[in-house]
Amino acid sequence: MSFLRLLSRNRLALAGLIVMSVVVLLAALTPLLPLPDPDVTNTAERFKKPFSEGALLGTDHLGRDLASRLMWGTRLSLAVGFAAAVAAATIGAAIGVIAGFYGGRVDNVIMRGVDMLMGFPYILLALAIVAALGPGLMNALIAVAAVNIPFFARNIRGVTVGIAHKEFVDAARLCGMSNARIIITEVVPNVIPVIVIAMSTTVGWMILETAGLSFLGLGSQPPQADLGSMLGEARSALITNPHSSVVPGAMILVIVMAINLLGDGVRDALDPRLKSGALSRPMPTTMVRRTDPVPQPEGDGILSLRDLQTQFHVKDRIYKAVGRVDLSVRPGEFLGIIGESGSGKSVTALSIMGLVASPPGVITGGAVHYKGEDLIGAPYATLRRLRGDRVAYIFQDPQATLHPLYTVGAQLIEAIQSHHRTSTSEARARAIELLKSVRIPNAEARVDNYPHEMSGGMRQRVGIAVALANDPEVIIADEPTTALDVTVQAQILALLGDLRRERGLAIIFITHDFGVVAQLCDRVAVMYAGRIVEEGPTDAILNAPAHPYTARLMACVPELGQGRRQLAAIPGLPPVVDKLPAGCAFADRCPKAASACRSGDIALGALGPARKIRCIDPEIPVQEATA
Amino acid sequence: MTGYIIKRLISAVPVLLGISVIVFLIMAMIPGDPATAILGSYATPENVEKLNRDLGLDKPLVQRYFIWLGNMLQGDFGRSFSLNRAVLDEVLERFNATLVLAGTSFVICSILGVAAGVVSASRQYGLADKAITFAVLLGISIPSFFLGMMMILIFAVNLRWFPVSGMWPIYGARDLSALVSHLTLPAIALAVVATGVIARLSRSAMLEVLRQDFIRTARAKGVHERSVIWRHGLRAAMVSIIPVLGIQAGFVLSGAVYIEMVFQWPGVGRMLVDAILKRDILLVQGGVVFVAACYVLFNIAVDVAQSLLDPRIKA
Repeated sequence: MSFLRLLSRNRLALAGLIVMSVVVLLAALTPLLPLPDPDVTNTAERFKKPFSEGALLGTDHLGRDLASRLMWGTRLSLAVGFAAAVAAATIGAAIGVIAGFYGGRVDNVIMRGVDMLMGFPYILLALAIVAALGPGLMNALIAVAAVNIPFFARNIRGVTVGIAHKEFVDAARLCGMSNARIIITEVVPNVIPVIVIAMSTTVGWMILETAGLSFLGLGSQPPQADLGSMLGEARSALITNPHSSVVPGAMILVIVMAINLLGDGVRDALDPRLKSGALSRPMPTTMVRRTDPVPQPEGDGILSLRDLQTQFHVKDRIYKAVGRVDLSVRPGEFLGIIGESGSGKSVTALSIMGLVASPPGVITGGAVHYKGEDLIGAPYATLRRLRGDRVAYIFQDPQATLHPLYTVGAQLIEAIQSHHRTSTSEARARAIELLKSVRIPNAEARVDNYPHEMSGGMRQRVGIAVALANDPEVIIADEPTTALDVTVQAQILALLGDLRRERGLAIIFITHDFGVVAQLCDRVAVMYAGRIVEEGPTDAILNAPAHPYTARLMACVPELGQGRRQLAAIPGLPPVVDKLPAGCAFADRCPKAASACRSGDIALGALGPARKIRCIDPEIPVQEATA
Repeated sequence: MTGYIIKRLISAVPVLLGISVIVFLIMAMIPGDPATAILGSYATPENVEKLNRDLGLDKPLVQRYFIWLGNMLQGDFGRSFSLNRAVLDEVLERFNATLVLAGTSFVICSILGVAAGVVSASRQYGLADKAITFAVLLGISIPSFFLGMMMILIFAVNLRWFPVSGMWPIYGARDLSALVSHLTLPAIALAVVATGVIARLSRSAMLEVLRQDFIRTARAKGVHERSVIWRHGLRAAMVSIIPVLGIQAGFVLSGAVYIEMVFQWPGVGRMLVDAILKRDILLVQGGVVFVAACYVLFNIAVDVAQSLLDPRIKA
């Protein structure tokens, strides 16, 4: 069972499991062990030190054998704690399932009551219940179970609400099954994992709480003793004979700690999100692990990528998201990168400034030269200095990329002050100016808006304003218009075009939209499965695509006024980048594929003076490209 | 904002009523009658009957509830028979001491817990993260009463840095330094568990936030990593940390009972335990209702803080 395997892989949880098993086993075997009677007093032998003759852990204030009392006390504490957990889980789950399944009025009334109980400080409620029932171990158990019922009820209700509207429940209803039967056969099996998680995280608490009530003298009554009351009785002799306190206290600590370790392990094993390792935070820069020699800068580009390789290392798998990409952009140039989702264009863009989430991202080779300086090997301080100042990003989906809790003004001011020592009032004036430059009306008022108070197009303009804040030389725009509707998209694109002309910006524009490329880009690079398959002047490529993939991709685009043309979807799917085939990655979907396509690596070769292509059988002859 | 606070206060009224009903019903479950408990088992039936009449216990349950509620609203919580004193006076005095202890603990656990969680998350899987994770595990597993006893043993008895117990010195001035030295050990002992819980949840809240796109945006802007973590990350994570702080405040407030017992702190928790053992029901009833009501009001303050922090909540 994969659950047990996952649990055993977690060494701490395994340790917890082993400790807990030993404790439970000893507790179960206590009546069979050759221990003295735990309740026989012998005041002549009181407070014997541990490891003394005849008493391994010493004796307590009445001369009773501590080892024996510890074992019997552990037995009692475990039994009471687990009983409380089971009771709370059963009753709480029943309440939660009923509330969640029936919904409406039933749900409302039950959950109001549950909320009310949760409004109490936890232990206070337990005290009130014990006050009513009177001190005693059974009553302490009832109190601890009762105060935990709301927690289970609320958790289970949430899950049940989700299940009650699933198709299989509807199907059961249509089959004419009674509600009771649906709950038992369809709902309960599905909430059991949640109950197990909730129990594994709370049973430690419940053992602690019952021990606590006993410690206060409200739980088990003498001569019977659980760990809590042992500690409570030992308190008066704490200073003179600490061992009688340390023995039961340490036992509670060991038990609760083992249960918590085990509980964490159970939760991790049952929570699929943690399994995938998704809960790891990205570091400030992408990890770099280059083995090959670093390429030298060449050409006149302000920013040039040479042989860039970025991979994602997830467990044993390696996803080659970017495989040896060469690109270069000059000041004032508008370079497009086009490709399907998953072709590696965004990862290429993020690699430039070390913004690929890492882990799992790793840059394994190549270089990115900004004015001759390699950014890939650069220390964090250098990257931070350049980020947003010389090379700025515009991201897709400004809803998620702007900080939801700061005003757009604050975010602009921060962008400026991260690189320039200016007063906040100066930076604010500049922020308003920036908002005006991206044509946000009423910028003086808008500067104090939060992102959620703006429309999508507005937010995207703010994203652009942030990118422009420090007059960068290069802007990398990662699908900045994908989330917008067509008219807003046109406005944003026009704005970017103007900015490039006015400020001489170099822009790398990532998109999957040929229309956008045609409108804006001087040059375009087509990516497929992490590699550039074709590159050249936009007009030339759009008029005569040379790579079969480019040609097929363009055939997918419907054109206005050219109805009746069949839209040709490309058969097959792009390859998964952890299992790239040898040779051309497009070969499996290419109608012209020959055996040579699959045998060896195909280089990005020249096609005429201005174009490059990675294909041994281009769609157009070389002369035509030259012409 | 004022409107929001008023709205929240009004919505607390049914909760407060509900709490009073729950407490009243729990207390009404008591087997036997309080008069016998007060007068002892040798009381004559006439005396028991007279006391029952005096306490209003011969009336129906619903009527008794409204009389009790009406009296409470006028500040009359009844009279404690074991202390021969008005319940409210005793509760207020004791609650004051608890507030000093629990308030200090709450400040300690909020600051330390959040800081530990943020450091842990920002150095995920690093040495600091592992050390904090282990300390947190230890902290949430150790019973606070045992921890308090061990602290007395080490820091009060052996090292003599702090007094063993109590809130004030028996002789000498009741000034701030005396209070601080008496307060240090119990406040820390009480804060440990909550610190652990807060650190844990802060860590996961931060990890959740640090994967968000707006963190990448901050980095792309060239914001210092320190600001990325403590300004962008923590600010967003606080939205989910604040409710946890509210819940933990309840744990600190009611968990104070153990620490009050261990350190002989004259707080409301110790008063409740004594009252339970003496079956002084009116004192228990009054104490529980009062503390629970204060906690409800505190939670309103938490909600208000939340709305100040998150502009997306309509104030």
